[in-house]
Amino acid sequence: MSFATRTWTRMSIPARLLAIFVPLAVVLAIATVLVIVVLGGPFVDFLSANLPLVRFLVAATAVLLMTVPTAFVIIYLELKVIARMNLRIGPNRVGPWGIAMSLIHGFKVLSKEDFAPTGADLPVFTLAPVVTYMASVMSLLVIPFAPGLFGQDFNIGLLFFFAMGGMTVVGLLMAGWSSFNKYSLLGGLRSAAQIVSYEIPLTLSAVGVVILAGTMSMNHIVLAQSGSALDWFVVKQPLAALIFFIAAAAEANRTPFDMTEADSELVAGFATEYSGMRFGFFFFAEYVNVFIVSALIATLFFGGWTAPFNWPWPYNLNWLDFSNGTLWIGIAVIGSIIVTDVLAVLVRLFGGRGWNMPSAMILGFIFASFIVAGVVGLAGFIAFDWVQGLFWFMAKTYAFVFVFVWMRGTLPRVRVDQLMGFAWKWLLPASLLNLFVTAAAVVLLSR
Amino acid sequence: MPRPSSDDPRITLDAQPGPDLFEAIPPYPTRTEREAEFYTLGDGEMFLNVGPQHPATHGVLRLVLKLSGEQVVDVDPVIGYLHRGVEKICENSDYYHVIDQVDPLEYLSSLFQEWAAVLAFEKLMDVQVPRRAEYIRVLTAELLRVSSHTLYMGFLALDLGGITPILYSFIERDEIVEMLAAVTGARMLFNYYRIGGVNGDLNHEFMSRLGDWMSRAAKQTEANATLLNENEIFVRRARGIGVLDRETALRMGVTGGNLRASGVAFDLRRAHPYSVYPELQFNVPTREEGDSLARYLIRVDEVRESIRIIDQCLHNMPDGPIMAKLPRLLRPRPGRAWAAVEGPRGMMGVYAISDGSDQPFRFRIHDPSLLNLETVPHLLPGNLLADTMAIVSSLDPVLGGIDK
Repeated sequence: MSFATRTWTRMSIPARLLAIFVPLAVVLAIATVLVIVVLGGPFVDFLSANLPLVRFLVAATAVLLMTVPTAFVIIYLELKVIARMNLRIGPNRVGPWGIAMSLIHGFKVLSKEDFAPTGADLPVFTLAPVVTYMASVMSLLVIPFAPGLFGQDFNIGLLFFFAMGGMTVVGLLMAGWSSFNKYSLLGGLRSAAQIVSYEIPLTLSAVGVVILAGTMSMNHIVLAQSGSALDWFVVKQPLAALIFFIAAAAEANRTPFDMTEADSELVAGFATEYSGMRFGFFFFAEYVNVFIVSALIATLFFGGWTAPFNWPWPYNLNWLDFSNGTLWIGIAVIGSIIVTDVLAVLVRLFGGRGWNMPSAMILGFIFASFIVAGVVGLAGFIAFDWVQGLFWFMAKTYAFVFVFVWMRGTLPRVRVDQLMGFAWKWLLPASLLNLFVTAAAVVLLSR
Repeated sequence: MPRPSSDDPRITLDAQPGPDLFEAIPPYPTRTEREAEFYTLGDGEMFLNVGPQHPATHGVLRLVLKLSGEQVVDVDPVIGYLHRGVEKICENSDYYHVIDQVDPLEYLSSLFQEWAAVLAFEKLMDVQVPRRAEYIRVLTAELLRVSSHTLYMGFLALDLGGITPILYSFIERDEIVEMLAAVTGARMLFNYYRIGGVNGDLNHEFMSRLGDWMSRAAKQTEANATLLNENEIFVRRARGIGVLDRETALRMGVTGGNLRASGVAFDLRRAHPYSVYPELQFNVPTREEGDSLARYLIRVDEVRESIRIIDQCLHNMPDGPIMAKLPRLLRPRPGRAWAAVEGPRGMMGVYAISDGSDQPFRFRIHDPSLLNLETVPHLLPGNLLADTMAIVSSLDPVLGGIDK
């Protein structure tokens, strides 16, 4: 027992969390399996009878689980990219190239005191981060990541997305109001004014796309753009793409439109009084929002998961029968052994002195693993169009994430009246003009 | 600390959270009519306390803003959080010790305070400073002016939300303070000027660092300024904000770049020449607009002029001693002296009275930041909350000097 106690006291906080949660997860998994086995028949029948519900639950869980790593990646990207733009190095201590930095940020946030100020409206104060975070997560449900890889294919997908985007402002307003802090209040009101104003050009610029695609389902919008880069809607709707990008930056509260948390004016805006994981939820929601608006730009205007050019060769590999899985596993194993030995001999022959056969074998094995992993990955990439689709989708999305980070590193913040003036005097007329021209063109050309 | 009585309005805070909490808490009781007027809220107005702990205050400036929505109706700047009684300390230290007491006043430009103090004492004692020492003073001071102005540009951008220029500024500043550290031994509080000269001649490390920096200073300064000058958002946020007209500026005693941005070509280096400035060629840049952008652009121009001056100093630097012959114990004759130098923020002046002892009888520091900051209540009302930072930051106050 003393051994266990001593081990426990020497554990770091993350290790303790893992020590609690990993056995718990294992036990729960075993229990679930047992339950399924024991109650198997009726349970499976029930699930198959309610397939949409199951799909929704699985998708919601997957999306929820996806948000945190996504936020981590974007936070790390932002730390590193802005550091490079500032001629700094950025995080480089935790993990290789500092890649665990945002993970540590997450644990730091978890281990902090959860503080609520005197005079705060506690139920609203507690609910606000949840509302903001859930709004972001729910928006992810309708985004098609790859062919067949989406939460729900609504016929009103885009509308659902904007509705959920509008929910964010409710959370921010709740946070601003309930914090009992004037900075928070100003931040919340600013965010309400800003997001409500920018929703209009955002939606209107997307209506042009809807007219062209003839549907509001995100999947069908992507399918309408399939082909090459010339079929993307950014070619037909460049003005709408620009308006959408600007309005999306405002929608995600990114620089130069980060009015709500303008740190040089309102200390941290709506999040001033938040600490611990409540702040963490706002923090994650902000970065998930960046991902979401980038994904939406990629989906609506840059072809979603479609490849930017006609992708000839994967479809010419029909002679490879990937359905016979075991055969290919056998070929992979034997091939990797042969490659390992060949590489080991090569290392032994040309590696110079100091390479005895065991270490040459190890090095050969490492090389061979890379080669096999590459071959398998390539095969998967070629064979499964959802892997391809995910690749293109993520490439496009992270390109826009990078642009948002780049903007943050480059631009100062605009003023509140300039922000509102820009939305109402420039973006709104421009998006109306775009909508008019698009609709007129569609009507005239369809005659 | 006395226990607060129950009728003190400040302690009802945790007694009953409710609508009462939103009522303003004035200084209790209000001390002046102005204070009573300020702390009476009109319809739909509220107070916002910016500082002394706030990401955008320079040092520990506290601004109590009376807001109507986002618009600033009135402002009450509160200073004194950094008061250390430097003048009194100086009056209790001998003439040599005064130099390192005035160093941390405006910590971004310490050499200028030293220079003002040393200049006043030299007038008091009729000391003739060697020409090489004068050139070294001009050289180091202009370097520090470049450093201070560069940092100003970065902080102005930071207060407007741009996070990158400040790091570029710090790179420039770091090179300058490193080269000054090579000759003075410190990076920030140099304690380098002496009555009758300077402490230590230029050395090899300084010269090599300076040459290295000068080879690309002009180009790098232009590049750094381009980050902001050509940024549409920055220009739109700074233009037409906090316009300080010529008459107000003169009436309020504003000096330095803030005055020159209002169209008055007043530069102590030209108006009341000291040291070897009459031998050097440089322009006094002025602008007519008097807004935040003009104040920023004046600094950019001044950096260019400073680099010109440094170049001339390097070419004209004479040989010779760097210290005048002086006794160990300084006892100037009874008398009074006023000396002022053109610091990065304006006229940095020192008024010293000697009573014949080895300590100054009176040591009065005139700090430009204080007078510059006093224009804030005239500039802020009518602007938005976000412009508060653009205006205060563009006046370039350093609270170390203001609070003394």
